[in-house]
Amino acid sequence: MNIGTIGHVDHGKTTLTAAITKVMASAGGAKFTDYNQIDKAPEEKARGITINSSHVEYETANRHYGHIDCPGHADYIKNMITGAAQMDGAIIVVSATDGQMPQTREHLLLARQVGIKKLVVFINKVDQISDPEMLELVDMEMRDLLSTYNFDGESTPIIMGSALAALNGENDKIGAEKIQELVAACDEWLDLPPRDLEKPFLMPVEDVFSISGRGTVATGRVERGVASKGAEVEVIGLGNSFKTTLTGIEMFHKELERAEAGDNMGALLRGVKREQVRRGQVIVAPGSIKAVKKFQAAIYVLTKDEGGRYTPFMSNYRPQLFLRTADITVSLSFPEGTPDAAEKMVMPGDNVEMVCDLHFDVAAEVGSRFTLREGGRTIGTGIITKILE
Amino acid sequence: MLGSLRYAACSSSRRLYSTEAPKVPVKLIGELRKLTEVSITKAREALSSSNNDVKAALQWLENDLVTSGAKKAAKVEGRFTGEGLISTAVLSHGAGSRSGLGHGGVRAAMVELNCETDFVGRNELFGRLAADIAHTAAFIAEPSGSETAFHEYSLDLLNDAPLLSELQPGSSTSATVGSAIRDTIAKVGEKISLRRAVALVENAPQQTQSSFGLRLASYTHGAISIPTQGRIGSLALLALKGPQLAELLASEALRNDLARLERSLARQIVGFETLSVASPAGEKLETALFDQQFMMFPDNSSGATVQEVLAQWAVEKGLVESEDAGGLAVLDFKKWTVGETADPSTQPTDA
Repeated sequence: MNIGTIGHVDHGKTTLTAAITKVMASAGGAKFTDYNQIDKAPEEKARGITINSSHVEYETANRHYGHIDCPGHADYIKNMITGAAQMDGAIIVVSATDGQMPQTREHLLLARQVGIKKLVVFINKVDQISDPEMLELVDMEMRDLLSTYNFDGESTPIIMGSALAALNGENDKIGAEKIQELVAACDEWLDLPPRDLEKPFLMPVEDVFSISGRGTVATGRVERGVASKGAEVEVIGLGNSFKTTLTGIEMFHKELERAEAGDNMGALLRGVKREQVRRGQVIVAPGSIKAVKKFQAAIYVLTKDEGGRYTPFMSNYRPQLFLRTADITVSLSFPEGTPDAAEKMVMPGDNVEMVCDLHFDVAAEVGSRFTLREGGRTIGTGIITKILE
Repeated sequence: MLGSLRYAACSSSRRLYSTEAPKVPVKLIGELRKLTEVSITKAREALSSSNNDVKAALQWLENDLVTSGAKKAAKVEGRFTGEGLISTAVLSHGAGSRSGLGHGGVRAAMVELNCETDFVGRNELFGRLAADIAHTAAFIAEPSGSETAFHEYSLDLLNDAPLLSELQPGSSTSATVGSAIRDTIAKVGEKISLRRAVALVENAPQQTQSSFGLRLASYTHGAISIPTQGRIGSLALLALKGPQLAELLASEALRNDLARLERSLARQIVGFETLSVASPAGEKLETALFDQQFMMFPDNSSGATVQEVLAQWAVEKGLVESEDAGGLAVLDFKKWTVGETADPSTQPTDA
């Protein structure tokens, strides 16, 4: 799973990340990455979008963690929208000497916005505070604030230690031991996202063939779940959704009983005419996903340096929306209640929440990602935040 | 006997009280932090130096902020600030804005306030500070009297100016712009720097010239909590001219139409790469406002240029009789983007 560190610049985010790799490396679960190797936050490109973020990896007995650290709010948002490094949980770092700061609120709001449900808090630099009551106060204030922003303030694990001590291998009581405690708290408190294999079956249709004597075969790469021969399935999207039976599974011209996430398969569908199935539809476990026509989404609009638009656009802009294999004209508008919506503009480089009104329905759910294109170039990318119709 | 014992115990504890610093109850620290947002160590220091009296501690903090703010500011001095806000303040929109009599000067300002991360840039405390500085800059500016409409502030001058809050115009704080910045540095722990400031002040034309008026358009893109600030901002000065101008401006419908056109103009400047008002003679530059297609004006489906739309508008609304008469024109504008003048190479990041 992916986690990130969020905190004030001076509170020791990077030191903590380095300390975690060091402590985990001594247990054989990571490669030690020093402070100055992490702090660079190199520019990288995900789906053509420039994001500043640094990554390290480590392993506990039960889990593998990808650990992300970004310099700013906008970078975390881009990570979320592109899916480059979707955070499933986060460690909020607060210094014991300062306590929470005005921008800690912004940190928690961000965590909410990128869809994080559970956090772990690390109170750093406890060696600089001698009075235990003061630490209690930091703890108390933090729990209050967490609750204010709809996190579970009462049960959120709050670990107090010194990342620097852990990094320098001094004073294990507040150093290395606390880092281990922190990682254990992540293991225990943060929920693993469900794996693709455990999710209900879904295969986007890439191509459709008619094979004489056998029937209609739809091909595609299984996105998630497992399908078995003979299973009931639903074909969804593009104004034509219906139920049928998966009478055969083919892979590389061989008949198989079962296909799972990651496989390229051909699905033989019972009693279905070739015209009934089209690229852009999906074949799914019945009832697992619905066709939608209208939804709200968080969208990042590419800058011209990223190959996007040069000019702003306004409400009712109509690019092409690509979701899985579907390609549908979409009309973009501002969510209801937006002040001056008729005059509002969106510029390249903006992160914006918009309502997407599709020409045809398509199988989608909250968290589905899509790109927006116009005249053959990608101008934006988005993630669905709310289904409207 | 018992009484004297109790007395002895009492007096000894009192003696303790006077020689050692009193224990600071955590509850008070929490309370003080809710009031001031200072760091936890600072809150404790304040209370212990003022006998756990919250009021006195507030006073102590106010005095201390001067030194600790300066210390903190010195500590973060070398850091790079590439985030932040462009904040505009418009105190007077110009002609027609006051009682519709067709006169009224123009008074506005735009400032860029930088910080290190966009987390702080999105924080209300920082936004409020930027708004107040913009308000101050607009308020204390003098008419330039020179040819150029916009007047660049000397930052030293603005830093020493008393901070005038937009929300509490009457509040008599002793804070200057510079000290308010230092206070915020102490609270958020990031370097904050006032990058640049510009003001636009034009007095109303003389009554006898009621056929001429100035107007101000402004727009900021990417507002977070306060609508007059964002990632990109623009201020533009417009001139209106027409024999019936004063009478026309008395109509609210016309003023609303004008305001709508002004918003479109300011958005056009922000949304498109705009470097000048007009192209040099004989050329047509895409970066010249007048030669751009006026995409941001909702009524412009035919794709006319800004210049054409302005000319048509002036005739349509009865300012002038022919499109060549120049009833409505943009005289000058400023467009700023956060961080565009910040150069990371000259300001090394934290070593």
